[in-house]
Amino acid sequence: MLFFENKGTFNQHMTKMPLSNRSSTKYVNMAACVSENDSDKKLEFFLKVPFPSEREAAIALQSLSPDPEPRKGGITKNLDVTGHTLSVRWTADEARILRVSVSSFLDHLSLVMETLDAFGPPVSQ
Amino acid sequence: MPVVIGFEGSANKIGVGIIRDGEVLSNPRRTYITPPGQGFLPGETAKHHRGVILTVLQEALDEAGLKAADIDCVAYTKGPGMGAPLVTVAIVARTVAQLWGKPLLGVNHCIGHIEMGRLITNAQNPTVLYVSGGNTQVIAYSERRYRIFGETIDIAVGNCLDRLARVIKISNDPSPGYNIEQMAKKGNKYIELPYTVKGMDVSFSGILSYIEETLFAMLVEITERAMAHCGSQEVLIVGGVGCNLRLQEMMGVMCKERGARLFATDERFCIDNGVMIAQAGWEMFRSGHVTELSDSWITQR
Repeated sequence: MLFFENKGTFNQHMTKMPLSNRSSTKYVNMAACVSENDSDKKLEFFLKVPFPSEREAAIALQSLSPDPEPRKGGITKNLDVTGHTLSVRWTADEARILRVSVSSFLDHLSLVMETLDAFGPPVSQ
Repeated sequence: MPVVIGFEGSANKIGVGIIRDGEVLSNPRRTYITPPGQGFLPGETAKHHRGVILTVLQEALDEAGLKAADIDCVAYTKGPGMGAPLVTVAIVARTVAQLWGKPLLGVNHCIGHIEMGRLITNAQNPTVLYVSGGNTQVIAYSERRYRIFGETIDIAVGNCLDRLARVIKISNDPSPGYNIEQMAKKGNKYIELPYTVKGMDVSFSGILSYIEETLFAMLVEITERAMAHCGSQEVLIVGGVGCNLRLQEMMGVMCKERGARLFATDERFCIDNGVMIAQAGWEMFRSGHVTELSDSWITQR
């Protein structure tokens, strides 16, 4: 799922990720882009996660954004929601640091999705 | 009468508990146990918690005979503790709080232990000895805050015992401290120097007894000093190490000499659990505090 390109070209890869074992018909489309930006020599990684509703995307954002990155330097991560989609953007100095952060995030994202699946849908506000 | 659910997972125990007006409705818990000679690391511990937390949450609701709609607020451990496990638990707490449309309460783990100890034992205003794998503090309530009167200057007493257990490869099941205590009971020689070589053989249970006696005597001394300072006539022991009967016995002797009362809880509440977080969350909620989602970040300290 991770492709590292030379010379700043984009490589786009669509991945289907099962939401949970109990609802095997639900799939999440994730678009991941990696590029190496020549001008400041940072690695970038983008993730877009569609949710079944705007409300659930907003819930995911609020659950995943409060905690700071464990590693203080060498990585930034920004989360945002537009409509049904949660987007995440990383910049990192080294591939190893990027890998750890993205991997951690995906574990937490899975946990949010499993929780939404097991204890959702959200109550009406 | 608000019903509060509490999530705890700052170390290797993951617990979810539900409380209503001082009555424990459920308090299931799972422990991540490593093989002998190994401690628990943050990444693996977080992975363990991720794998079971939703099951334990459902168990908590089922045992209490409640539906999600019956919960009024969601408490979770904000800190202190290990980062990765704390995040795992906070994420689930935030998600269900939003799903159920209920306020979130970020609780201090240490205060969770103290509030639960007070609830269970009915101690009014005790000097508290908080001893566990991660914490060693003598705490008293003074001028509207819990204040630390004394603490370890390096590692927690439970950490010391856990490391000893690792070195001599004592089993971590159910916990290293419990197994040390069982072995130490069999030691009947108090040895002044911790160097026990008998010819070609060595003896370790004597060392464990020595270590327990010395560590616990140190804790009794600083607790006594805090009591003298505050003019307190009650001692409450909380935290996993508080399960140790020898510690309770030694503290009891000191209390009797001073005419003070000793309070302690059993392993359900000494060891990290979810309902202590729920109880502390309830105290927060009824004094009007809630935690905004943007402020709900976890802290290792």
